[in-house]
Amino acid sequence: MTTAPKGGSRLPDAITDPVTGRRISLLDWKATNLRASWLLGLVMVVLLGGLGWLIGFAIDPGLAGVVVVIAVVFALGQTAAAYWASDTMVLSVAGARPATQDEHRYLVNVSEAVAIGAGVPTPRVYVIDNPAPNAFATGRDPKHGTIAVTTGLMEVLDRQELEAVVAHEIAHIRNYDIRFMSMLAATVGAIVLLRDVALRSMRFGGVARRRGGGSSGGGRGQIIAIVALVVLLVLAPLLAMALRMAVSRRREYLADATGAYITRNPEGLARALEKLRDFRGPPMQVSEGVAHMFFTNPALKRNANGWFATHPPLQDRINRLRRM
Amino acid sequence: MTTIIVLAILAALILFAINVYNRIITLENRYQNAWSQIDVQLKRRADLVPNLVETVKGYAAHEKEVFDNVGKARAAMAGAKNVDQSAEAANMMTAALGRLFAISEAYPELKANENFRVLQEELSSIENKIAYARQFYNDAVLQFNTVITTVPGVFFAGPMGKTKHVYLEVPEPDKELPTVSFGAATA
Repeated sequence: MTTAPKGGSRLPDAITDPVTGRRISLLDWKATNLRASWLLGLVMVVLLGGLGWLIGFAIDPGLAGVVVVIAVVFALGQTAAAYWASDTMVLSVAGARPATQDEHRYLVNVSEAVAIGAGVPTPRVYVIDNPAPNAFATGRDPKHGTIAVTTGLMEVLDRQELEAVVAHEIAHIRNYDIRFMSMLAATVGAIVLLRDVALRSMRFGGVARRRGGGSSGGGRGQIIAIVALVVLLVLAPLLAMALRMAVSRRREYLADATGAYITRNPEGLARALEKLRDFRGPPMQVSEGVAHMFFTNPALKRNANGWFATHPPLQDRINRLRRM
Repeated sequence: MTTIIVLAILAALILFAINVYNRIITLENRYQNAWSQIDVQLKRRADLVPNLVETVKGYAAHEKEVFDNVGKARAAMAGAKNVDQSAEAANMMTAALGRLFAISEAYPELKANENFRVLQEELSSIENKIAYARQFYNDAVLQFNTVITTVPGVFFAGPMGKTKHVYLEVPEPDKELPTVSFGAATA
């Protein structure tokens, strides 16, 4: 497979990586996302299966097999849900309703235009009745691409700025960021959930049972398993979350760069980000589970720059766009 | 043993050739499809124009020259036989509509007309879509041209009968109308 054509500085499917400064092909980026999505599904099954086995073994070696099966089934279920249902879920959590040609002619027209420029099918367009300016994209591939925009966003932005935000969202869709990020979110979510289940079952079931069962066969193995489990259960969720957020921040930079490329107008996106930065109204109330999907983090006050931030600092995004 | 190696190399070469061939065809289809995107928008615009002209005539019937230009552009669109002629007619239409919207600034009653406002939004957004479609078309042509003029595509382009394709020229809307501001129509 030949990758993006070489030579020339304004190739249509290559952008400057905002993190490393190197030219990267958007085809590569898309392929990376697709590969990584599969890998994540696999990692999730292996990880949850393994953790399930550890938990089962720690509680009672005889149970290990059963717990593994339950964990694997659960992992597959989560993966399938992330793949098929993440879009419907996030739309309903965010309280989005379909935009209509009559009421939101302007937004629909803008979205159609940008989709044409990006070479993807026109996404489904949704509106969220909320005065805080924000937007997000969802859908596992460009054919199922969906973007949602708050009424506040349409109010504060002019046409070029709205185009820029829509282009950022369409960049996420075109490059399969959404499939990848929802798989990643599901994996992290499963790890966290498993920790909670394990801690609870150890507290209520496992410890009591071990006391009763005495030091019959497999006692030392069981202790090692418990130690390994505690380390895994405490560290794994933290590491997984930090990793997920690092990936998320990088995807935001890349989507900014691609969006600016699609509209050929980095300044429009920079101005839009400035307006969002300076917005002084009440923030959007959204659950933490979907906060990472938005154009800017809706709950900005909390942990805006740390390891667990879903988005890069706004000012940094603006500066990068101005330097393009 | 030697036979196997020879066969393996042959198989690899064939796979490679198929890959390059498919890439060239894919890129050719992409720009042809990109043209049809432009065409769809041009047709939609042509469909809206008579309605617009009727609306404007109700308020500014004496601006004959403007209506004539729009009419000429429509005739050119209908008579276009290839991509170049279509593109040229489309540019004529863009200029004619730009002039029409510029003139409408002088008629407050026309600007207040709901039908006119909807048409203006539709037409300026179609203009916008045409600009994006043209940009995507040129992107696609650039990709196609790059692949057929670099290694390994260049070895295939000749036998496949593929030559470099031309870009669509972006019109300069204010070429003939130096003093008029176009406002939203050509933004």
